[in-house]
Amino acid sequence: MSTNNPDKPEETTRVPVLRPGYTFGSITDKIAAIALGRKTPIGWLIGFSLSFGVAMMLFYSIGVLLLKGIGIWGNNNPVGWAFDIINFVWWIGIGHAGTLISAILLLFRQQWRTSINRFAEAMTLFAVACAGVYPALHTGRPWLDYWLFPYPNTMGIWPNFRSPLIWDVFAVSTYATVSALFWFVGLVPDLATLRDRAKNRTAKIIYGMLALGWRGSARHWHRYETAYLLLAGLSTPLVLSVHTVVSFDFAVGIVPGWHATIFPPYFVAGAIYAGFAMVLTISIPLRKFYNLQDFITMRHIRNMAKIMLATGLIVAYGYMMEAFMAWYSGNEYERFMIYNRMTGPYWWSYWSLILCNVITPQFLWARKVRHSTTALFLISLVVGVGMWLERFVIIVVSLHRDFLPSSWAMYAPTRYDWMMFIGTLGLFSALMFLFIRFLPVISIFEMRTLLPESKVKEEA
Amino acid sequence: MMDAAYTAPPELDRLQQRALLVGVVALGLTVAGAFLNREQFFRSYLLAYVYWIGISLGCFAILMIQHLATGAWGIVIRRLLESATRTFPLGLVLFVPIALALFGGHLYIWTDANFVAHDAILQDKAKYLNVPFFLGRTALYFFIWFVIAYFLNKWSRQQDEASDPKEMKRKMQDLSGPSLVLLGGTMTFASIDWVMSLDPHWTSTIFGILFMGGQALSAMAFIITMIVFLANFKPMKEVIAGRHLNDLGKLMLAFVMLWAYFAFSQFLIIWSGNLPEEIPWYLNRLSGAWKLLAGAIILFHFILPFFLLLPRKANRNPRLLVTVALLIIVMRYVDLYWLVGPQVSHEVGGKMNAAFHFSWMDIAAPVGVGGIWLWYFLTQLKKLPLLPINEPQLEGALGEGAGHH
Repeated sequence: MSTNNPDKPEETTRVPVLRPGYTFGSITDKIAAIALGRKTPIGWLIGFSLSFGVAMMLFYSIGVLLLKGIGIWGNNNPVGWAFDIINFVWWIGIGHAGTLISAILLLFRQQWRTSINRFAEAMTLFAVACAGVYPALHTGRPWLDYWLFPYPNTMGIWPNFRSPLIWDVFAVSTYATVSALFWFVGLVPDLATLRDRAKNRTAKIIYGMLALGWRGSARHWHRYETAYLLLAGLSTPLVLSVHTVVSFDFAVGIVPGWHATIFPPYFVAGAIYAGFAMVLTISIPLRKFYNLQDFITMRHIRNMAKIMLATGLIVAYGYMMEAFMAWYSGNEYERFMIYNRMTGPYWWSYWSLILCNVITPQFLWARKVRHSTTALFLISLVVGVGMWLERFVIIVVSLHRDFLPSSWAMYAPTRYDWMMFIGTLGLFSALMFLFIRFLPVISIFEMRTLLPESKVKEEA
Repeated sequence: MMDAAYTAPPELDRLQQRALLVGVVALGLTVAGAFLNREQFFRSYLLAYVYWIGISLGCFAILMIQHLATGAWGIVIRRLLESATRTFPLGLVLFVPIALALFGGHLYIWTDANFVAHDAILQDKAKYLNVPFFLGRTALYFFIWFVIAYFLNKWSRQQDEASDPKEMKRKMQDLSGPSLVLLGGTMTFASIDWVMSLDPHWTSTIFGILFMGGQALSAMAFIITMIVFLANFKPMKEVIAGRHLNDLGKLMLAFVMLWAYFAFSQFLIIWSGNLPEEIPWYLNRLSGAWKLLAGAIILFHFILPFFLLLPRKANRNPRLLVTVALLIIVMRYVDLYWLVGPQVSHEVGGKMNAAFHFSWMDIAAPVGVGGIWLWYFLTQLKKLPLLPINEPQLEGALGEGAGHH
């Protein structure tokens, strides 16, 4: 990574990515203390217990589902895909910001990624874990989910390779694997730091095993850098490909409201949009609670707000094109689809979606809003809701009234649908809390490279 | 370094004269062609027009992107981009033949009252697809582009003399964000009007983005060709370094990939949907010799540039970079030909005739319009120093820079 970069934008250089006055030691102390501190903050205990409690709802509803089958959900005919797929797409989308931050911003030499990449990657992993629950259970017989993979079998049955659903299996499992590897490889040097600093013997052993014998030799660093760059290169196409494949799940079919050529780029933009909203939702309270404002500075917050605005505008463009082309096509079914979205029984979902995803982010044009953490926190929550509504509109509202009026039906989620969704929110937060308590939330060694001292050699 | 004038080298004059000569001859031939075969003339002319206005518009978008992204690569090509946006008056004048086509019922089938009378969907769509509204929309697009380009150019010129160049820079940045949104909107509808409505029954929601991606790619290939040419002579010889070409090459690769991504998405979704409203568009383009063109586009518009630009070293090699850029400039033409060619060959009465055809005017028109365009572009380029001389970050953007790589 280069220093004294003349490419650096004027405006962003004013607020540094790291408040001056830190040394190698004080950075390490500050970040490692969160994981190694003897006393668990009471706020953490309350937060974790609450989330863990909420996660129990997920496990309970999975239990009932395994006993009774997916009939406990509100899915019906014609709405065969509902909460399960909405939540799957929503969670998968959230994960994208993590991959974008860690891979694409790394390749583009954006130094401001350094303090947010670690927990954004963790967020990706946990979001993918939450997402994976849904399609796995939606098969109805999750113990046979391995049939999704093409393996030579005595039944002579293969998955349909022309179905985007099977592409999804590969896209998502690749995504989960690469994200996990990327995150873990990035953690190794920091795990060694924690191993060396831990006072508790158990902690020492656990961190020691995870650190894979890292000694920080020149050769270790050389191998590390190569591996990290390779993984970044592997992750980059995944930012586009995963949500593109998810969008094919819909667009490759012919249901009006699903069959739209704009779906791939518009899904990818929506995913990044929701993902950055989630990163802001997490980082704003996190930096406040653990006093990390020197590391996660206003510059990070502002840049994320700008990315949210840009992706939000692409998503708005997608809505506009869908509405215009539905009319312009002159196709009766297409026109009805958009008319039904706007004025049908689920009209509220479409207009709330416009309010959350199109109107709210326009506040981000104002510098004042981009500089206010409270405003950004609220906007990011609204965008999170908006992106969920988007999938509700696409999936449920398109399916409930398609070609044949005789097969129209209404959809209503059951309490199990809600319990599963809220439960995954609990699972996600519980995992996030555990991560914050036991692993370095910010990459220690990468933060140290931001210090002027680490640059001396490079410039000489 | 700062007091250098960065005036255009005399070699540009020679290029300009040649461009004018070629342009006048080829355009003269094309106009003569209008009397021989009017349908063919309009078809070839639309292709030429869309191609060259696309380069102006692509440069327009890249100009605003570089204001927002502020990199050394953007500073060294800024004056080229600005000159391209000052060609909009020419673009408006060159639109006249297309406007004329509307009144004669040529080119766009929806302007043919006879045809529309037998088509219920087109009668309904006449609310959008009618001549006055079409012309009004085009006027609105140009008005918006003029206004934005006017201010971006004015402030950039003022920055050269301003005592507080940062103030001008901030102004340009503040205008660029919202203007990109406006450009995205107007360009999308322009692409629907000018090209998609050639086949008024066909729709694709990604079409605007695909079209804009193509324009950005054409513009980047053109800019790279120009900058490598300028780097042969003083004063740009001392300015352009490997790192600029590296960044520009990477951007070109990114646009190649984006274009391919959009094009593939559209194809896959329409192919698998296989709907009667959509699939004929591809069936026409995949029949007979059109199929060969489609194959050539996959090979030379995506695969070959992708693998040539992928290695790290490639982007620092000016000769290779300019070869790829020239290949892309040609392939953009082939892609537009493949896009515009099949559907316009209809007979009144509604029968589509998508058989492959190629006329000498398909070459003469783009060369003619291009010659005039390039001449006008170079006239604009010579008006100002080749670099924004008062730009606060100019010094850091020259040569190999400090502490980079």
